[in-house]
Amino acid sequence: MKLIEILQKSIEKNQLSNAFCINNTYYTYKNFAQIISNVRYSLQESTKETNLHIGLITNDDIETYASIMALWLEGKAYVPINPETPISRNNSIIEQAGISTILDSSKTTGAFDHLTLRTSGLKNENINLSAKTFPKENLAYILFTSGTTGIPKGVPISFFNLSEFIQAFWDLNFNLNDEDRCLQMFELTFDMSVFSFLPPLLKGACVYTIPKDKIKYSYIFELMDDYELTFVSMVPSILHYLRPYFSEINCPNLRVSVFAGEALPLDIVEEWSKCVPNAAIANAYGPTECTIVCTNYTYTSLGDLKSYKGILSIGKDMLNTKTIIIDETMEEVSTGESGELCLSSTQLSLGYWKNEEKDKEVFFFKNMNDKKTRFYKTGDLCRKDSEGNIFYLGRIDFQAKIQGFRVELAEIEHHVRVYLKKTNTVALAFTNSINNTEIGLVLESNKFDTNPLLAYLKTMLPSYMIPTKIEFTEIFPMNINGKTDRKKLLELF
Amino acid sequence: MERTTIIEKIKITLTHVLGHENFELTDDLTAKDVDGWDSLSHMMIITKIEEEFKITFKLRDLNKLNNMGSLISLVQSKL
Repeated sequence: MKLIEILQKSIEKNQLSNAFCINNTYYTYKNFAQIISNVRYSLQESTKETNLHIGLITNDDIETYASIMALWLEGKAYVPINPETPISRNNSIIEQAGISTILDSSKTTGAFDHLTLRTSGLKNENINLSAKTFPKENLAYILFTSGTTGIPKGVPISFFNLSEFIQAFWDLNFNLNDEDRCLQMFELTFDMSVFSFLPPLLKGACVYTIPKDKIKYSYIFELMDDYELTFVSMVPSILHYLRPYFSEINCPNLRVSVFAGEALPLDIVEEWSKCVPNAAIANAYGPTECTIVCTNYTYTSLGDLKSYKGILSIGKDMLNTKTIIIDETMEEVSTGESGELCLSSTQLSLGYWKNEEKDKEVFFFKNMNDKKTRFYKTGDLCRKDSEGNIFYLGRIDFQAKIQGFRVELAEIEHHVRVYLKKTNTVALAFTNSINNTEIGLVLESNKFDTNPLLAYLKTMLPSYMIPTKIEFTEIFPMNINGKTDRKKLLELF
Repeated sequence: MERTTIIEKIKITLTHVLGHENFELTDDLTAKDVDGWDSLSHMMIITKIEEEFKITFKLRDLNKLNNMGSLISLVQSKL
């Protein structure tokens, strides 16, 4: 596998440079190589070659990143498991992915001890970074995202997908190099984390992470300022948090500032660009199914910013992706008209993890220039201008993005109904006073104490899916089609 | 302003933002110990405290807030 060989060579070549800065501690590529080798040895000792999908507790430390590398050198996939996510949800992931080994760097015991392979405090083994030979169809990771039926759904990404993504990333010409200092602000269950650590490691750059107990937005600023970061990728919601403090931010060393995961408003980007006067700003887009991001819009001056209704364009197709916009009859719409964005790409996952029903719903074939081409329906409502710039208009279904995390509102409703039994409920995404998205819940009922309900939800859902506001209404309003009028309910927030 | 008055005002702000008062304002209380105190509510708590005391924090101040004791001292230093 070429990609993994390049990774191996980069780690070997940059021995004396810093690979990571975690909680103000530097780790050189040599330190990193040592820890990778230790984890790899332990992995080889205790797992079978056929055991390909390995759980990974997502801690913020060098062992956790080394574990990913060790697995990849072995041709194995990691399945990230966030220790702060409710155990019932993690159990569902472990069961679905058929996980029998979990790598964990924690020093204390956890919930999955019977499956755990400890990765901290291992004794030093001979350094061994030579990548094993394995087929490119092997999986690099499986990420589980919110599912409408109440069960998280798995998105498997192969080494082939990943290496196609990396090729498209280089084509964006950010010119990442061994002097770059790069931000990694993402939870490892979110694929933008791969975007933030893999390209830097392939070029011998240094990756700066955020300790889990820190408030992200203020810590990001300190990293940018103290360590003069040169390359940062963030979700737009971080900008909304930082906005009141923009006058304090001046980072002339920043070369590239990438946004992804949520819609990026034009006005805030214009203000941000004054904080990072020398940075190229990029707005990237892509669902997990298409390996991190697959369209991008980079600009270097504010002159002619392409936007629609105050939202910045998500740009054009990246190297290995072809996008089309279709109507309800699955036909392409004309330029400028809105429809559902569909992707065809070598970055596209082969399908959901053991979920053929969902596959049938969102993957389809269409003849393009007499060639049968596989597409993925994103659920995103978009339009394209005559130059091929894509503009995001909203969702066609009930999916929301909370700080970049995908949330199926139906999944929240499902768990509320399980708990309350007969009460009608609607979960909604609303925009709060600083323009970030929050989840509101409306219950068709007289007022009651919702603390037990919230306590129950916290045992079933990750924290970003817990409603932050709850409203009551006696009867849900109907729209002209006789459906619950969600727009009307949204006015409650 | 008396330290106890500051604590009392912070308590009212916290209760208002978080919607509950299941916490005790000791010096070593951290966000982790309090239900619902995450990035989002942190931002709101900070903004409300700024309004309440008519002070403004610097971005750098925010990272020094390791616990309730440091928040109270920071507020005190700005008054």
